[in-house]
Amino acid sequence: MQLRPNKQTAKRAATAMLCLSLAFLYAMGGLFHAAIYKGEENRLKAERIQLSDTQIAAQRGTVYDSNMKVLAKSASAWLVYINPSKIKTNEQMELTVRGLCDILGVDEETVRAKASKNKSGYQKIAGEVENDKKLELKEYIKEHGTKKGDLHTIIGIDPDTKRYYPYSSFASTIIGFTDSDDKGVGGIEMQYNDALTGTSGRIITAKNAKMGAMSSEYETTYDAKPGESLVLTIDEVVQYYLEQSLEQAMIDTGAKYAYGVIMDVKTGAVLGMTSKPDFDLNQPRKISSKALSDAISAMTDEEEKKKSTGEALFSQWRNRAISDTYEPGSVFKTVVAAAALEEGVVDLNTTYNCTGSIQVANWTQHCWKREGHGHEDLTQGLMNSCNPFFITIGQKLGKENFYKYFDAFGFTEKTNIDLPAEAKPVPGVTYHTLDQMGISQLSSSSFGQTFQVTPIQMITAINTIANGGKLMQPYVVDARLDQDGNVIQRTEPIVKRQVVSEKTASTVAGMMEKVVSIGTGKNAYVAGYHVAGKTGTSQKLNTDDKYIASFAGFAPANNPRISVLIAIDEPAGVHGGGAIAAPIAGLLIEKVMNYLNVEPQYDDKEVTTISTVAPPLVGLSVGDAKVRGAKFKINVIGNGPTVLSQTPKSGQQMKNGGVVVVYTEENAERKTATVPDLCNLSMTDANQKAISAGFNIRISGNVNSGEVLSYQQSLPAGSEAEIGSVITVNFKSDVNVQDG
Amino acid sequence: MASASKKVKKAPKRRSDFWAVGKIDVPFLLLVITILTIGLVMLFSASYTYAYYERHGDSAFFFKRQLMFAIVGVIGMLLVSKVRYAYLRLFAVPLLILSWLLLVLVLFMPPPPGVPRNFHRWIVLGPINFQPSEIAKFAIILFCAWSMERNHRAMVGKSLNRSKISETIRELSGGKIVVYDSFVKMCMYAIVIVLTAGLVYLENHLSGTLLILCIGLVMMYLGEVKKRWFILVAVLGVAAVALVIFNPQLLEKYAGARITAWLDKSYDPRGARWQTNNSLYAIGSGGLFGVGLGNSKQKHLYVSEPQNDFIFAIVCEELGFIRAIGILLLYVLLVWRGVVIGLKAKDRFGALLAMGIVFQVGLQTALNIGVVTDALPNTGISLPFFSYGGTSLMMLLLEMGVVLGVSRYSRLEK
Repeated sequence: MQLRPNKQTAKRAATAMLCLSLAFLYAMGGLFHAAIYKGEENRLKAERIQLSDTQIAAQRGTVYDSNMKVLAKSASAWLVYINPSKIKTNEQMELTVRGLCDILGVDEETVRAKASKNKSGYQKIAGEVENDKKLELKEYIKEHGTKKGDLHTIIGIDPDTKRYYPYSSFASTIIGFTDSDDKGVGGIEMQYNDALTGTSGRIITAKNAKMGAMSSEYETTYDAKPGESLVLTIDEVVQYYLEQSLEQAMIDTGAKYAYGVIMDVKTGAVLGMTSKPDFDLNQPRKISSKALSDAISAMTDEEEKKKSTGEALFSQWRNRAISDTYEPGSVFKTVVAAAALEEGVVDLNTTYNCTGSIQVANWTQHCWKREGHGHEDLTQGLMNSCNPFFITIGQKLGKENFYKYFDAFGFTEKTNIDLPAEAKPVPGVTYHTLDQMGISQLSSSSFGQTFQVTPIQMITAINTIANGGKLMQPYVVDARLDQDGNVIQRTEPIVKRQVVSEKTASTVAGMMEKVVSIGTGKNAYVAGYHVAGKTGTSQKLNTDDKYIASFAGFAPANNPRISVLIAIDEPAGVHGGGAIAAPIAGLLIEKVMNYLNVEPQYDDKEVTTISTVAPPLVGLSVGDAKVRGAKFKINVIGNGPTVLSQTPKSGQQMKNGGVVVVYTEENAERKTATVPDLCNLSMTDANQKAISAGFNIRISGNVNSGEVLSYQQSLPAGSEAEIGSVITVNFKSDVNVQDG
Repeated sequence: MASASKKVKKAPKRRSDFWAVGKIDVPFLLLVITILTIGLVMLFSASYTYAYYERHGDSAFFFKRQLMFAIVGVIGMLLVSKVRYAYLRLFAVPLLILSWLLLVLVLFMPPPPGVPRNFHRWIVLGPINFQPSEIAKFAIILFCAWSMERNHRAMVGKSLNRSKISETIRELSGGKIVVYDSFVKMCMYAIVIVLTAGLVYLENHLSGTLLILCIGLVMMYLGEVKKRWFILVAVLGVAAVALVIFNPQLLEKYAGARITAWLDKSYDPRGARWQTNNSLYAIGSGGLFGVGLGNSKQKHLYVSEPQNDFIFAIVCEELGFIRAIGILLLYVLLVWRGVVIGLKAKDRFGALLAMGIVFQVGLQTALNIGVVTDALPNTGISLPFFSYGGTSLMMLLLEMGVVLGVSRYSRLEK
């Protein structure tokens, strides 16, 4: 029985060995296939699941106004996520959902759905979570949970950023906003998105299959480079004045939209620009108009609701000052006048006799004043905004020259302002090309009709006249700053070209000043500031009764600092530019000039009739004070020997013969009185009424023509105010302000 | 039996009946120690993340346990090699019966924590748990080696079977059907093997079943069962494999999904193919030269339980294709050396024992690599010397001890 293994055994063993070797070869083949043949493919797949490539968002740059006030800023916020794979029990699920819903106010159903994805290691719950919420959540995580620290493994908190707009709706159409990915979707935020964004950093970490990051030796970090900050040319104060006056104008005129631009004449820098109604930058997707949002919520058809919501949002986001086009109307006559003067086809002595209409080819163009303006010179023609006169000027100029200046003033191109969505002029559609221009087109174009421009183009052209004929490229970003606040790049004003000579420009400026002082623009008059301007009223395209009333001008005429465009889109009642746009411009110019510390230069007439300043009486004896203030009514309160304080303060503007209240006792109680209604009065009457109530007035507005009436007062009628206070009363005229 | 072994003993120095004499085969010992050492190092590398997460931060948990069993196992191996292997004949039948009892017993044992309820592979004895199928594998080898030595003549000869049934069949068929002894023996082995495999199958342990069938087949082949039966088995085997491949639903649900997952490479990537896919990613990441020892990323919870069946994927990732092939060649060398030891053994028992054991290791290795590289369906088969499992490693080392014991009497150039 004890046999040694024989040859047969060896043969069998050899065969078995061979079979096993074949099995090994097969396995090795599999190994080769996986490691080499498909090795690269497998390796890449492995990397894809192993590496967690986390973007570290760079801090988005800040947007400042020209006074370094923060308009838009990114602040640290927090991102909350959960790791559903760690939720093991129902109790944990409930605690997680409760905590997130209660603290973050997120939708419970959504959270529950995300938390149920138990194979997932990461589900974002909320971004832009503010610090107090984050602390609250942390506290909750610490205190709750089924056992110590288990919620901590489920709920995670990562740094995030949130964009804040401290002034809410302020300059909203210029600044724009960002979407949830911190990407700019409008205005500056969009135009300068790349600069503001910076370069996001990356952390490439190896992760294990349960989404946990592994030790840092597997980690590669690329630091984030914070975005640049921007300093705008927008001046917070100027912008505020502009927005305030247009908001008021919307209420007063019942207009659908209102937009305006204030530009620095010398540089083309935009100091203020707005398009009303606008929106709250912190809640860009909320319809700002309550009436509109109510109307939309009332809709029953979901489809229609969605569509209307979209339209309403796009409408409120639209910066109409650069995206809308309109017929400039009579405002454009300034451009025609400049061209004609430059070409020498007219001069200041050119006269015309307006009969009320003019025959152009086979049609009759009426002047807005049917009975005609009669005999008028060039300046009077502009003051009267006489259409037939400007038709003849345009015809004299000829279509070649007309087109040359139309082009030169920048109406055939974008202004290239550094804002998105500027409307692009379309030859043959928004304006007549030279080929298309016949006598009719030339004639109607000469008084600003049958073509369209953007408000920003119009103000840029007007600014050219103010700026000695130099066409500037408008801009809103003054400087780009690095993270330490150093200026990386400052915008150099760009002179695009000399459109007309300095002489022509100043001639036209002089004519425009006349328009404001005694012509159709008289409601924009501001004593001492030499406002020059032109009004315009144009029918909106394809409508019967919808108008755009506008005023474009600059001040002071002799040394212009700012140019202004105000457009009131679809006013409900009166629709004349001179009647509704000019007064707004006047008030605005006055405030802005004051703010810019432009010294008013009163002519003799203005000095004597308008105002004086309150005398310095503090420190004087009561007797001396009465002598010093002989021109005023001195109202002494108290029995002290010397004047301790006075109202109005020394140097404040007021009318001669006004009231000065002086207090002679320490801690004397200020006397008050009820402010009278000073509206719809002549200048004299308003003054009388104020003084008899114990107040002073300061006159604002046009005082050159006799028929002015007050229409606005700085302290509301019926309110209590300290006696002696100066009430600014605005006057305007309703006579001869029509501008065709 | 004892007298039989005395008769063939050639040892000049007779110290005792119990302790073996002669030198052990050093190349085989070196191969075992080398593979074991590499296996231990790789086990540590592969398991530490998993251990960290699953064993409360004790990264070395699996390594420490495995090392302990390895040390005990190596001592056991040397001890076993020192005992005259002839005594093992005494255990051939008892061990087989014991393994059957355990295989039945295990069906009534609750599975260890974390294992699906219908898997009855483990018997838990306090801190130790072991798989009766591991014992069954050795029991089959031992039984076959013992029995085939005894029945060798009957198996290779043309003697007629003299049992009553055989006689009756021959008479009834009028002498047309002749039952040979070889056929009866073959049937006996087949029944033993299929019975054992069947019990393992009841454990819901497909890979163990297959392994036992393969080992049995190898033993029958080495034991010189007539070749025609292997042709028949091969034909049946191919037919069965084809049937299973084209009708995966025929196997029970669990194994069926794994076969579907093997055939359809895009099947259930987060479920049935998760392990295999991540194994392939690991192997691919390793490329030719590997990412370096300890640098595997796939072991970070991607390859689930990287210390077990899929440890070779981590080996490939860290050491690269070339070294992985080197390790496989070590296994081939081990088998080859085992076969040489067997062929030079002093008796058929030793020969069949040594060859059976090394073929078991070789088969298991080849199957494991096949699974890891997706060349075979994922059946759950461990890699000898590498995969975690204390009792199975110890069992393996004791078996190596048996081979070494046989080598003491082999006519090898030592």
